[in-house]
Amino acid sequence: MDTTKFMLIFKREYITRVRTKAFILSTILAPLGLLILIVVPIILGSMQTEQRQIIGIQDETSTLLVRLLDQNPDRYIPLPSVTSDSLRTLVLRGNVDGYIVITEEHIDGSKAPELFYTGTGGLSLVSEIRGDIRAALQNERLDRAEVGEAVREILAMRTSLQTRVLTETGEQKSDTMSLFFVGYIMFFIIYAAMFGYGAVIMRSVIEEKSSRIIEVITSSVRPFELLLGKVIGVGALGLTQFAIWSVTGAGLLALAAPLAGLLMGGGGSSADMGAAAAQADLPFDLPSIGAEVWVTFILFFLAGYLIYSSLYAAVGSAVDAESDANQLMIPLMIPIMLPLLFIGNVASDPNSTFSVITSLVPFFAPMLMPMRVAMTPVPFWEVALGLILCIITFIGIMWLSARIYRVGILMYGKKASFGELFKWVRYN
Amino acid sequence: MSVIQVQQVSKSFENTHAVKEVSFNIPKGSIYGILGPNGAGKTTTIRMINYITVPDSGQILINGRKADAQTQREIGYLPEERGLYKKMKVGEQLMYLAQLKGMTKDAARKSIKSWLDRFEATDWIGKEVGELSKGMQQKIQFISTVAHDPDIYIFDEPFSGLDPINSELLRNVILELKSAGKTILFSTHRMEQVEQMCDFICLYRQGENVLNGNLTAIKQSFGKNTIMLEFDGDHTFLDTLSGVRFNNRSNRTVEILPDQGTNPQDILRHAIEHVRVNRFELIYPSLQEIFIQTVNQKQG
Repeated sequence: MDTTKFMLIFKREYITRVRTKAFILSTILAPLGLLILIVVPIILGSMQTEQRQIIGIQDETSTLLVRLLDQNPDRYIPLPSVTSDSLRTLVLRGNVDGYIVITEEHIDGSKAPELFYTGTGGLSLVSEIRGDIRAALQNERLDRAEVGEAVREILAMRTSLQTRVLTETGEQKSDTMSLFFVGYIMFFIIYAAMFGYGAVIMRSVIEEKSSRIIEVITSSVRPFELLLGKVIGVGALGLTQFAIWSVTGAGLLALAAPLAGLLMGGGGSSADMGAAAAQADLPFDLPSIGAEVWVTFILFFLAGYLIYSSLYAAVGSAVDAESDANQLMIPLMIPIMLPLLFIGNVASDPNSTFSVITSLVPFFAPMLMPMRVAMTPVPFWEVALGLILCIITFIGIMWLSARIYRVGILMYGKKASFGELFKWVRYN
Repeated sequence: MSVIQVQQVSKSFENTHAVKEVSFNIPKGSIYGILGPNGAGKTTTIRMINYITVPDSGQILINGRKADAQTQREIGYLPEERGLYKKMKVGEQLMYLAQLKGMTKDAARKSIKSWLDRFEATDWIGKEVGELSKGMQQKIQFISTVAHDPDIYIFDEPFSGLDPINSELLRNVILELKSAGKTILFSTHRMEQVEQMCDFICLYRQGENVLNGNLTAIKQSFGKNTIMLEFDGDHTFLDTLSGVRFNNRSNRTVEILPDQGTNPQDILRHAIEHVRVNRFELIYPSLQEIFIQTVNQKQG
């Protein structure tokens, strides 16, 4: 291992990439993409259903319709007392989207109200109507029972459960929702990075091979030095990108929190909507990410990157063109994608045996361990063991990949099968 | 003293025995040609000399030292399949490749500048290689091979793709390197270039070295068995000759190879009857003839 040559290769791999438009664009676009993925569903979810559904109410009690109109004047219209056949016709002809006949039996609770409708409007329509009817009936019953103000207040109370995590140094207010959110984002950043940077490595190996410069380079350096310089160079590129994102992200977050609070508070349907907006706060606390979470994230990102990038390099060396690589990529993509199946189990119980074991498996650990650390306190030994297993795996994979690589880069014109790749490992 | 010693070297890939027990020595300051049909094992041998791959058995010595990462610095290698980083600028690329060969920054800069001047390529220094024409890229590739001022040069088909002017330029550079005491190994199919430039040759056939040594000595060992005939007139009379073979036949010249028992005097007499003879001479066989004879003979 010649360190001077390694440094030359490392510098070239890093500098020629960091200057490219592709790097600048991906640095800007990746967080935008992530932001869109997160923000768009929130905005969409907070928007009212655009199509207004009209529900006719045939009120035989003469009190409930008033209450319903009070709650949502745009949705409900009174219907005259006609036969159920005429009501059906109204719906089918499209005069109204549905109807409900409300009788005394509904108030005393001996029968449940029925909604007859065209089936459009989806689940949210049904649940909103259910809410309206429920509230109207409840208020009517309370009025009839002549219940006092105190009881009504008690009924209107909503209790939420605050959680606090006890640690050696004291207690921390924790917001499971936001921790889940952070863990989830970390998972997907690492997941995307494994694919993204892996592809960069693979393309770079194929480019050197197809431009035939590889023969010139290998007449000056050992293939292993080239491979290592390439992997570390692109890894440094990834870290640079993360550093840029972290710094600008922290800055933007400080500026954007009040804005986001306004935006998201406006979408909420709770009674203290005004208060939320006034406090300029998010529906959940902005997660404060501890240093240990960052460190775990970076370390496992690097571990995962090293494992997968050397595999990508081996695949790249075995083909002449990117389009030939698909078949060899499949066994590589499976371990990256499998953790997607575990994400639900791990998130719902980050300390279960299942979560502990899957987050220790070297191929899954880079994605699952930072997620667990973000969501819950993880014993130090688990994190350390996960990292050590990753490093051991990396050394093994690197050895294997380097042996495939050194043969593959000089092979042209035939698509190698897995059998052949393993034969290459044994070449001297 | 031999600069490159190839000793009993063998290399195989799965089912193919690419190089079998090959040995030859390349003396210092000589131009050495490796010849042979495609797939005969020339490139595999060259890669082993460059320590890109290693022999299964046997050994290769460069200046008396077993080929390794250190000996790579003493060699400048121009592969048959040319290649540079397309997106990298000419200057940066040449600096990078020279430094990988162990040159210091300053030395590399100086050497690259003088070579670029020599090839009238200084203006391209800030251009990406991909923007250059094929011929320009060839020049840059050549500079990348020689910039670190090695003792040994290995050129695999150096003239392929060059126009006549650049071919001549390259030929002169190679001869200059030789007179500066450098050792040059080149691999080619172009027999006339080998005849003009090489001191020694070695001929490959199916992974074996079937003939090697001093070019003149090899020719002499075949004897003056070839008739060089130059003439004016209708060349079709040649078709009426029996017991002969032809090489390099054209409207005015031909090399005639009489079979055993065919008398050259009969051929001369026959020629005079049909055409005006300008030259009739017994010469050593051409390299092409030696190549064909050797390859066919061993096959038979």
